[in-house]
Amino acid sequence: MSRGHHAEKATGKGDPQCFTGEAGEPKFKVGDRVRIRNLPDIFYTRCQVYTRGAEGVVTVVTHESPAPEDEAWDNVDDPEWFYIVRFKQKDLWDEYPDAYANDTLQTEFSERWLESV
Amino acid sequence: MAENHKAAPMVDEVSDFEVLEIAVRELAIEKGLFSAEDHRRFAEFAHSIGPLPAARLVAKAWLDPDFKKLALEDGFTASKEVGIDWLNPTGFGTPSDYCDLRVLENTPAVHHVVVCTLCSCYPRPILGHSPEWYRTPNYRRRLVRWPRQVLAEFGLQIPAEVEVRVEDSNQKCRFMVIPMRPEGTEGWTEDQLTEIVTRDCMLGVALPHPERKLDDKRPVHKAANPVHGH
Amino acid sequence: MTSLGKKTSGSGFTDTDPDFSPISLLEKVRNRGRVWKDLAEKYGVDNPDPPWKINLDSTCEALASEQCTLPVLERRNEEDELSETLYQDVPYPERQLLALVHSMIQRGLIDEDELARRMKFVDKRLNST
Repeated sequence: MSRGHHAEKATGKGDPQCFTGEAGEPKFKVGDRVRIRNLPDIFYTRCQVYTRGAEGVVTVVTHESPAPEDEAWDNVDDPEWFYIVRFKQKDLWDEYPDAYANDTLQTEFSERWLESV
Repeated sequence: MAENHKAAPMVDEVSDFEVLEIAVRELAIEKGLFSAEDHRRFAEFAHSIGPLPAARLVAKAWLDPDFKKLALEDGFTASKEVGIDWLNPTGFGTPSDYCDLRVLENTPAVHHVVVCTLCSCYPRPILGHSPEWYRTPNYRRRLVRWPRQVLAEFGLQIPAEVEVRVEDSNQKCRFMVIPMRPEGTEGWTEDQLTEIVTRDCMLGVALPHPERKLDDKRPVHKAANPVHGH
Repeated sequence: MTSLGKKTSGSGFTDTDPDFSPISLLEKVRNRGRVWKDLAEKYGVDNPDPPWKINLDSTCEALASEQCTLPVLERRNEEDELSETLYQDVPYPERQLLALVHSMIQRGLIDEDELARRMKFVDKRLNST
């Protein structure tokens, strides 16, 4: 069984740290306003449906790693930058109460899911 | 007298599922897929309760601003100072754990709460195994949409002027919360503070309280008809 | 959103295509075995998990560690797929167990007949008086 290549790559460095330096320059920076793209996800994704089309702000540029859509199929050759994006709850859920207009939600995306606003 | 003494109920029946679990484990060990010792240590790790390494991280952060800064910037390195090496948390490697720990700090203006809507991503090396409720669809689906309602079900009411910030842990980052240090803990030592930082406080579904500890004694009711001579 | 079972051949995604068709020994366990939910109710026990759950989790961990015999992502994907298809009417964690064993048999890590023999042996041991 030659299924251990991924674990081997991470040995002594950790995952996602083992992909450091493999994705080039990040396209977005902290403070950038972004929209979540609504890409097809026929096979596998970790981009939540409730964020599709919503606008938010990049709060952390986290690390480089293969996107889950690739990694699920063992493709670890094209790592991307990942970003934590903060949304106003009101921008995710129409019915979110006005009384709590300050409430937010953060979650993480690989670069392919983001576009500049 | 002895008739009054009733043992706690237990399942007095062996199911085929139980047999299957044992059979498959024994065969895997015999075939050298892993050792019995490996298995035991994973189980021991899973069972570990008591003050969590993450609780000490919080206590240190409360006491030492420099350490807090480190924790917020580099959770991986800060974890090492409380005895957790994310690359080797059980002592023999768990490649299933991703190693990018992000520490979130609660303030008077922001309250964080952690969820994984997609599965049950959890900062296991530093917080142990996730609780049952964390893995339920009830928590995972509802927290992102009705966070205040779900928190209220945990007995936690967050004032309207405080921003509730849900962190949906969907990729390789893992998250824990540094709650605010409660009043009534002035002058406490790191050990004392560690005792009141329970798991749920570090997920954001509870707040620490100076009189609530993980190992608090359960209320004891004296037996009305005690059994003597046993 | 996963559809591992519908993958076309020659995609080069993995070495083997998972096979999600029934395995007769596991069908027997599923049909005969009493799930924890029912046992707990019958005996008035309120523990949400069967006593073997931690052992099962530890087996999954141990298989994913060191030699990486069965990587977590693969096991979980197959468990997800099997949970929605073959074992959809089996409650958790019984279906986690069935899915794990399914993945192991399918990969040739253990042999179905050998496992059947071992189960008889274990059953005898646990029920010995």
